[in-house]
Amino acid sequence: MMLVVSVVAVSTLLFTQRNLSARVRLDFESELQVEVSALHALQQFRDAALAERCRILADKPRIHAALEDGALDLLYPSAHDELRGMMEVEDGAGPGPGSLGADFYRFLDPRGGVIDPAGSPGVGRLEPSQESQLVLPRLPESPQTGYIVRGAGSPSETVDEVIAMPIVSTEDGETISAIVLGFAPPGLGVEAEGARVQNGIWTGGRLVLPGLPAAARAQASSEIARAIGHPDGDHGSLEFRYSGSPYLLFFKRLNPGSLYPAAYEVSVHPLAEALSGQRQLIWEFAGAGALALLAAFIASEVISRRLSEPVEKLVIDSRESRENWERAEAALETTSRELQRSARFSADASHQLKTPVTVLRSGLEELLAGETLSPEAREEVSRLVHQTFRLASVIEDLLLLSRMDAGRLKIQFSRLDLSLLLGSLVDDLSAMPDSRGLQVETDVPATLWVTGERRYTELILQNLLENARKYNEPGGRIRLAARAEGGWAVVTIGNTGTAIAPESHALIFERFHRGAVGENVPGHGIGLNLARELARVHGGDLRLARSEAGWTEFELRLRLADEAP
Amino acid sequence: MTLRPMLLALAAAALALAPAGYGQSSIEGRVELPKPLHAPVMNKRYGIVAYGGVLSPYPPVAVVYLEGSFPRAPTLPTGRMAQKDLAFVPAILPVQVGTRVEFPNLDDTYHNIFSYSPAKRFDLGRYRRDETPVPSEVFDVAGMVTLRCDIHEHMRAIILVLDTPHFVLTDTEGRYSLQGLPGGRFVLKAWLDSRTTLSRAVDLAPGGVLRADFP
Repeated sequence: MMLVVSVVAVSTLLFTQRNLSARVRLDFESELQVEVSALHALQQFRDAALAERCRILADKPRIHAALEDGALDLLYPSAHDELRGMMEVEDGAGPGPGSLGADFYRFLDPRGGVIDPAGSPGVGRLEPSQESQLVLPRLPESPQTGYIVRGAGSPSETVDEVIAMPIVSTEDGETISAIVLGFAPPGLGVEAEGARVQNGIWTGGRLVLPGLPAAARAQASSEIARAIGHPDGDHGSLEFRYSGSPYLLFFKRLNPGSLYPAAYEVSVHPLAEALSGQRQLIWEFAGAGALALLAAFIASEVISRRLSEPVEKLVIDSRESRENWERAEAALETTSRELQRSARFSADASHQLKTPVTVLRSGLEELLAGETLSPEAREEVSRLVHQTFRLASVIEDLLLLSRMDAGRLKIQFSRLDLSLLLGSLVDDLSAMPDSRGLQVETDVPATLWVTGERRYTELILQNLLENARKYNEPGGRIRLAARAEGGWAVVTIGNTGTAIAPESHALIFERFHRGAVGENVPGHGIGLNLARELARVHGGDLRLARSEAGWTEFELRLRLADEAP
Repeated sequence: MTLRPMLLALAAAALALAPAGYGQSSIEGRVELPKPLHAPVMNKRYGIVAYGGVLSPYPPVAVVYLEGSFPRAPTLPTGRMAQKDLAFVPAILPVQVGTRVEFPNLDDTYHNIFSYSPAKRFDLGRYRRDETPVPSEVFDVAGMVTLRCDIHEHMRAIILVLDTPHFVLTDTEGRYSLQGLPGGRFVLKAWLDSRTTLSRAVDLAPGGVLRADFP
């Protein structure tokens, strides 16, 4: 009997523990993958911008004239003029990482070799070994992306991203040359000390990742070389150990199909911390398990005399706890998917929706400009045009949010007169056509200096006032008050209208959450989330002060600035 | 009036002193022009089109000129190639070596005419309609000069700098007539495009009219 109880208890514990470890690991990996894919989305956007700049250059008449009219001696000097805005630092260290400025440029001859700049100024210095990495087996028909290692083996070792843009003759449509521009890639060597993820680039058997010790780099590098040898080696993850510590590494091909050697984006994460967390969990489990086992022994001793009844109970208990566990697992899985989905959505949607919306709007406006529309259709089309403006503003908000998510929003702090700002916003509010006879009361001091960036502070307040108007009742009231309290400027914005249900209080700041207000109230469930995130990056906060008995009040805290100078 | 007979006498004396038969012969004929392409391929605005690496006038015309050594006129007329409606007008301009060509901008936008051709490299910079004096260049080396605009990449023109005072553009049927030629043996050439120049020997009788067709 005792043996049966022990086996059941131990195997349940083992099963649960293993399940938990796997879950922790999976959750951790998917979290990392979200970070990596956010970085990748940024990279793709930047690449598209750079390729566009290169394409414009490849069409320049002077560059064509030099190549087509037999004036190769004027090729680099002509390009120098055209590239003046892009080559920010002449022959110097070049622009910083992530900037759209170029480090160097070269032209390729019809065989794919580099056309010698012959001492032309401002082309960007390159060692012969670096210049030889620009050579292609033939002139490309489409833009090619490559990565070249500069200062290999030195402490300042870095990678430049190069884009080779074909130059097609205007005389015969043949590719006659290519302009190759080198840029410092984003996200390399800019991580702060102790950052969670270290990013680098692997190319030609070398891993350039300034945050990792040389020996660890060498080891990671050979691991990657092995992993990409597999048929589906375009992306993946692997684990490696360096001086006893485990690391998790993700790699993804940066230039699929390129004529340049394959290059991979690499993110390395030290696993030590995560593993110690996991170990602790295992210990806790083991402890709990031992206790449970002890309890089971005692129980079985006590009740073995009463034969099978207690065993059945124990089995039922463990089944219940397993069901609970599975439910928790399922919830965790959903959350993690949700997280990935929303991060990806924010990043992709912002970029990919902007263009179609603009195209849509100009198409609709063109339609409106025509004479052929009936008055009804005209009204419908102008309504659609109006919708495109709303859509564009949602995308703007999403872009802002995804920049904040990626930690890329930098606030330019300055002193702002909050009272003045509130005054003008209240004016704007009264001018809204559908203010439905709302009464606006204000209790704001003559001046109140806060510190923040004007447009974002304005955006927070706008969103709050907009909500106070939207969720109000006809003939209702809005109350706007501001005061200094401690080091804070405290702004309260209250409005009449149906209160927010208590169970929703925790949810209203969630992204894409919309209260049970019905579809007739416009909005997209981003406003409050955006306002809170913005308040927080300003060092302040936004909370729901109260919402009961027909009155809802939000409280915004912003940092007070010193008195007016 | 006594002045008139005197002028006539002076004119007769001048003719007598001139090289034998100068300015009295002429050549007429027709150049077989290439068939125009249905649509200009590279250059959206015709004038000069590029196809298969060859620059040619569109619609096709030819430049017919007489090669030889001829006395040089003390002054040459100023040539003119305007920019109008984002195109060069005319798009093909034959001139004698040493000719100054003006490039007035008749558009309401900036143009920036330049050439990287070996026969003449120049860059007029950006200028507008009211630019005075009208930007100009002297073309003192024989050869084909390709002109472009730095702002409007489709704009293209050709100035054919010829070491002869005797040249003419055909009409779009290829017909031409060269007047006021000296007598003697010369080479007559027809420039058709950047890669094609036809030539044939001609023997001009003083005062005679020669019929010469290409090919």
